[in-house]
Amino acid sequence: MADSKIIKSKYFFEEDFTEELAEVSANKYADWNKKELKVVGKPVSRVDGYDKVSGSAVFTFDVILPNMAHAKTLRCPHPHAKIKRINTKKAEKIPGVLGILTYENAPKISWYGKSFLFDPHLRYEGDEVAFVAAENERIAEQALKLIEVDYEILPFVTDAAEAMKKDAPKLYDDGNIRGGKPSVYERGDIDKGFEEASAVAEQTYKTQVEIHNPTEPHCSVVNWDGDYLTIWDSTQGVFSVRDRVADVLKLPASRVRVIKKYMGGAFGAKLEAGKYTVMAALLARKIGRPVRIALDRREMNLSVGNRPDSVQKLKGGATKDGRLTALYQYSYGAAGAHPAGAGCSWALRTMYLCPNVKTEEYTVYINAGRARPFRAPGHVQGFFALEALIDELAEKIGMDPLEFRIKNHTDRDQVFDAPYTSKLLLDAYRVAAEAIGWKNRPQPAGSDAGPLKRGIGMSSQIWWGGGGPPAYATLKLNRDGSVRIIAGSQDIGTGTYTILAQVASEVLEIPMEKVEVLLGDTAVAPYCGSSGGSTTAPSVSPAVRDAAEQMKAKLLSGAAAHLNVSESQLVYRNGVIHTKGKNKKSMTIREIARKMGERVLVTTGKREANPDGYAINSFGVQFAEVEVDTETGKVSVKKIVAAYDIGRVLNPKTLENQIHGGIIQGLGFALFEERIIDRNTGKVLTTNLHDYKLPTVKDTPQIDIRIVSKGDSKISNTGVKGVGEPAMIPTPAAIGNAVYNAIGKRIKSLPITPDKVLTALQS
Amino acid sequence: MRYFDYIQPENIKQASESAGRDWRKALLYAGGTDLLGLIKNEVESPAALINLKAIPGLNGIEYSEREGLTIGALVKLSQLSAHEVVREKYSVLEQALKETASPQLRNMGTIGGNLCQRPRCWYFRGDFHCLRKGGDICYAVDGENKYHCVIGGGPCFIVHPSDPAVALLTLDAGVTIASAKGTKRVALKDFFVLPEDDIYRENILQPGEIVTHIHVPPVSEKTVSGYIKFRERGAWDFAVVSVAATLRINGDTIIDGKAAFGGVAPKPWQEEKINQKLKGLSVKPGNFESLSAEVLKEAEPLNQNAFKLPLVRNLLKRLLVQLTAS
Ligand SMILES: Cc1cc2nc3c(=O)[nH]c(=O)nc-3n(C[C@H](O)[C@H](O)[C@H](O)COP(=O)(O)OP(=O)(O)OC[C@H]3O[C@@H](n4cnc5c(N)ncnc54)[C@H](O)[C@@H]3O)c2cc1C
Ligand code: SF4
Repeated sequence: MADSKIIKSKYFFEEDFTEELAEVSANKYADWNKKELKVVGKPVSRVDGYDKVSGSAVFTFDVILPNMAHAKTLRCPHPHAKIKRINTKKAEKIPGVLGILTYENAPKISWYGKSFLFDPHLRYEGDEVAFVAAENERIAEQALKLIEVDYEILPFVTDAAEAMKKDAPKLYDDGNIRGGKPSVYERGDIDKGFEEASAVAEQTYKTQVEIHNPTEPHCSVVNWDGDYLTIWDSTQGVFSVRDRVADVLKLPASRVRVIKKYMGGAFGAKLEAGKYTVMAALLARKIGRPVRIALDRREMNLSVGNRPDSVQKLKGGATKDGRLTALYQYSYGAAGAHPAGAGCSWALRTMYLCPNVKTEEYTVYINAGRARPFRAPGHVQGFFALEALIDELAEKIGMDPLEFRIKNHTDRDQVFDAPYTSKLLLDAYRVAAEAIGWKNRPQPAGSDAGPLKRGIGMSSQIWWGGGGPPAYATLKLNRDGSVRIIAGSQDIGTGTYTILAQVASEVLEIPMEKVEVLLGDTAVAPYCGSSGGSTTAPSVSPAVRDAAEQMKAKLLSGAAAHLNVSESQLVYRNGVIHTKGKNKKSMTIREIARKMGERVLVTTGKREANPDGYAINSFGVQFAEVEVDTETGKVSVKKIVAAYDIGRVLNPKTLENQIHGGIIQGLGFALFEERIIDRNTGKVLTTNLHDYKLPTVKDTPQIDIRIVSKGDSKISNTGVKGVGEPAMIPTPAAIGNAVYNAIGKRIKSLPITPDKVLTALQS
Repeated sequence: MRYFDYIQPENIKQASESAGRDWRKALLYAGGTDLLGLIKNEVESPAALINLKAIPGLNGIEYSEREGLTIGALVKLSQLSAHEVVREKYSVLEQALKETASPQLRNMGTIGGNLCQRPRCWYFRGDFHCLRKGGDICYAVDGENKYHCVIGGGPCFIVHPSDPAVALLTLDAGVTIASAKGTKRVALKDFFVLPEDDIYRENILQPGEIVTHIHVPPVSEKTVSGYIKFRERGAWDFAVVSVAATLRINGDTIIDGKAAFGGVAPKPWQEEKINQKLKGLSVKPGNFESLSAEVLKEAEPLNQNAFKLPLVRNLLKRLLVQLTAS
C-alpha cells in the first residue's frame, strides 16, 4: 500500500494548462458501483448547513481580533491620471488615524507585470491611491477625504475597438494590444473549407462586461505575531495567497499562514492575492496592530475583476447535408487596465467536428477595471456567439439545429488530437430534447401568434474540469474512531466540506457525523490547488479516497495483529472487522484505534495521475424555453432543461446548487447584467446592486436537471468531473437561441434587454 | 458625510421652524429609505435632520364617503396597500404600492417620503457634479440616457421615480402642505415641477414646508382602475415606464377617465388631450389603439430611449383592454 511516484502533471485550469511536478498515488481501487454506495451519490445535507442557516458561521468578513484596526482605500476618481503630488498631513492629524500608505512611503512592489502595488500612474477609475488604517471604518473614510491629491488628468479610452486604433490614448508605452499581436490558432485550411461549403453564415456578436459581485465582498484580516503573519482571507486559493504574499514581503512561506473557513461565494476574482491584502499586511506591521480591510460594493464593481467583453466576428461554412467545413473567428475583448486574458475561442475550436478552423484574438487594454477569470472564462461569451452561428447555419441549410449538432459530434479532442475519456453528449441531447418538447417548438421561428410569443433554443457545452494532481489529503483517525480530514483545498460555498466527508464516510463505513473536514489553512494542511476551473471535487475527492483506503488497510493490519490472524481472514463491514467463518471474532474501529493509539493512525492520500493520451472534458446541453412579450420586449425564461455528462455525482444536492446557481447567473448575463461606463467621462455608472442588475428570485425559471453519466473510472478513483462552470456555459446561448425562435429576429448583443427586442421587432 | 444635528420636533410648527431656517440646510426625515442613501452617497450633506416620526397625527388612514381617503404622510407603503378601502376601491393605488421597491423598503418607506423622493438618475446619485446638484452640465443629455425622460425634459432629463404618484394622479389626489405659517391644499398635478421651472427640486415645497396628508376623492361604483409597471427584472427595480388609468364606465362607454405615465418625464405625466379623448370613448380595441398612438406626441427622445414610446403606447392599450374586459 501507499505506493506513490512523482510525475509531471499537466491539466487545464480555467483557460490554461497548469504544469507542475506532483506526487501521485499509484494505488488502484475497485471502481465504485453506484448501486452499492451508501453515502456517496446520496442527497446528504450540507455539514455546514446549521452554521450557515443559524448565522453562527464566521466568514472572513466577520473575523474580529482584539485591538484590530480598520482600513479603507482611496481610489482614483478618474479613468486615467498621474499623481503629481499627494499630501496626507491633514488626514494623519485626525484622531484615530493610525497609518497611511501611498506610493511615497510604501515599498515598491511590482504588481500586474509592469505596474506596482502603489503606482503613481493610475490607469482606471478605482486604481489604488492610498491605504488608511484607523480605529474604525468611519474615521478611515473621513481620512480618505482629507488626503490631498493633485492629479494630472490624462486622455482615456474605455472601448476596446477605440483602444486598438493607432492614435488612441496609450495605457502602456508599447501600445494597447496585449503582446502587440493577436493570438492565433489554426488547423486545416479554412479557405479550402469555405470553398467546400454550400452555405456560409457570417455574423458579429457582442457580449458585455459582467461583474462577479459575490455576496461576501473581498476582504482580509491580517495579524503579525513577531514576523509570523496570519491572514484570514476570503479567497479561492489559500496557497496562492500565501505564495504571493510571502514572495512580495520576502518572507519564508513557512511564516505566512492563510486561513479561510467559510466564504460567501466567489466566481474567479478571488483566485489571487489582492493588493488590499498586501497593503493591510504592510500597514499592520507598521502600526503593530491587526488590520481588517473589507471592500464595499462600489469597490467590488470597480476594482476586483470582471468578465471581459467581446466582439466576435464569426464565419462558418457547411455542406448541404450538414457537415461543418470551416469555422473562423476574429475577436477582441478588453482586459481592462492590466494584463488579463480576454480570449473566447475555445468553444469554436473544440465543440464540433470541423477540419478547418482559424481563430485570431486580440486582448486589449482600456482604462477600466481589470478582467479576471469568471465562471467558465471565455466559454460563456464564446458559446453565445458560436451557438447562434450554428443555429443560423442550420437554418440556411434547412436542417433541425439539434440534428445539425449531432451530425457534427466528435469523440476526439481536435486541438490535441486525443480521444475523450468519456463523452455522453448524445445521451444528454436526447434526454433533454424530450424533456423540453423540442419537437413542439414554433416553426418557423416567430410563428407564435403573440403578443406573448414562446420559443425554445438550445446550446451545447464543453469544459475541462477533470482536475488532476497535485492534491493531497491527510486523514487522522482519533482514539474514538472519529476521523479528521485535512486538506489545503477550500470550500468556497460549493459544498466541499460535505462531499469530502462523504467520501471518507463511504470508504470507512462510518457515519457522516464522525467525519470532520478541515480545509483552507496553509499552516496545517497539505497542498491542494485553488478552487477554480471546476477542479476541486475531481482533484481532491480521489486524494481523500486514497487516504481513507490506506486507513482501512491500516486498520485491517492492526486487527490482524491484535487477533493473531492473517489479514486475508478478515472482512471489513460497517466499521467493524470480522474474521471469516465460524467462531467469529470482531473489532470495531474504535477498539482498534484505542489499541493502536494515535501514534500510527495518519495517512496521506494523493490524487492519482490523469490517464496518458486522453482529453478529459465535461459535456452538456441546455434547452431554454422563453416567452417574449412583443409589446414590451421583455423576455421571461420559463424553463431550462439541463442535461450533463459530469462523471460521478457525489451529492445530488450540492450538484443541484451548482446547476441552479450557474443557470441563474447565466440568465443574469443573458438578460440583465452589464457594467456601463459613461462614454464622456470614462466613469462607471453601475456601482451598486440597483443599477448593476443581478437577477432576482422572480426571474428564476423552472429548472429540470438530468445527469446522464456515471463515474468515469479512467479519470480517477472517484470518477468525478467538475460541474461549477459547465452549469453556466450554455445558458445565455440557449436563451439567445430561444428568443430567436420566439420572435424570428436575432439579438446579437448581450444582454437581451427590452429596448433591444423592441427595436429589433420594429425593424 | 459631515456631522449633523438630529432634531425631534413634537409638532408641525416646531418641525417647520427648524427646517425653515435659511442659514443651514435641514432635511426632513421620514422612513429614511431614500434620505439615508442620499446622505451616504453624498448627494446631500445636511446640517440637520428633522425626524418627523414623533409628530402625532400623521400616521392614520381615514375614509369617508364624502371626503374619500385621507392618508397621513407617515403612513407606510405596506400599511396603505393593505388597507381595506384601498384594496376595495382604489386598485390602481394598491397595485402601484405593491409594485414599489421591495417588501423591506415598503415596511419602512412612507407615502409622504415616496412622493418627495429624489430622482434616480445615475449621474445624480454618483459622483458627478451635474446641473441638479449645482454644477453646470447635464451628463445624461449626451451620455448614458436609456432610463431618462422622453418628454418634459431640459435642461435636466430625469424621470420622476415614484410609482404611487402616477396612480394618485389618475385619482385626482391632492396634498396638504403645512408650515409654521399655516396649511394649504394643492392638487397633486400642481405639486410636481419640471426642471425648466426649478432645476434643484422635483416639487413645489419650500424650506419649512411639510406634506402632512394625501387626499384621494371618493370614486363611484362604476370606477375601474389599474396600474402596469414595466421594469427590466422581476423585482427591486424602478419603472422603465409605467401606466396608470382610472375609468368610469357605463355599459360600452367610458364616461370619463384619466391616464398617467411614469418613467417618461421629470414628473408623473398626464396629457389633458388624452384624458379628454377618454371621455365618451366607446370600448373597442381599435379605439384604444388609436388613442394610445396619440400619447406622448410631443416627445423628444434622447439617443438611447426612443424605445419608451412604443412601450408606453402598448402598455396603455393593454391596460385599457384589461380594465374594460368584462
Ligand atoms: C432600493 C430602492 C428601490 C426603490 N424602488 C422604488 C420603486 O420601485 N418605486 C417607487 O415608487 N419608489 C421606490 N423607491 C423609493 C422608496 O419608495 C422611497 O425611498 C420611500 O417611499 C421614501 O419614503 P421614506 O419615508 O423612507 O422617505 P425619506 O427617505 O425619509 O425621505 C425621502 C425624501 O422625502 C422628504 N420627505 C419625507 N417625508 C416628507 C414629508 N412628509 N414632507 C416633505 N418632505 C418629506 C425627505 O426630506 C427626503 O428628501 C426605492 C427606494 C430604494 C432605496
Ligand atoms: S438628468 Fe438631471 S440629474 Fe441627471 S445628470 Fe442631467 S442634470 Fe443631473
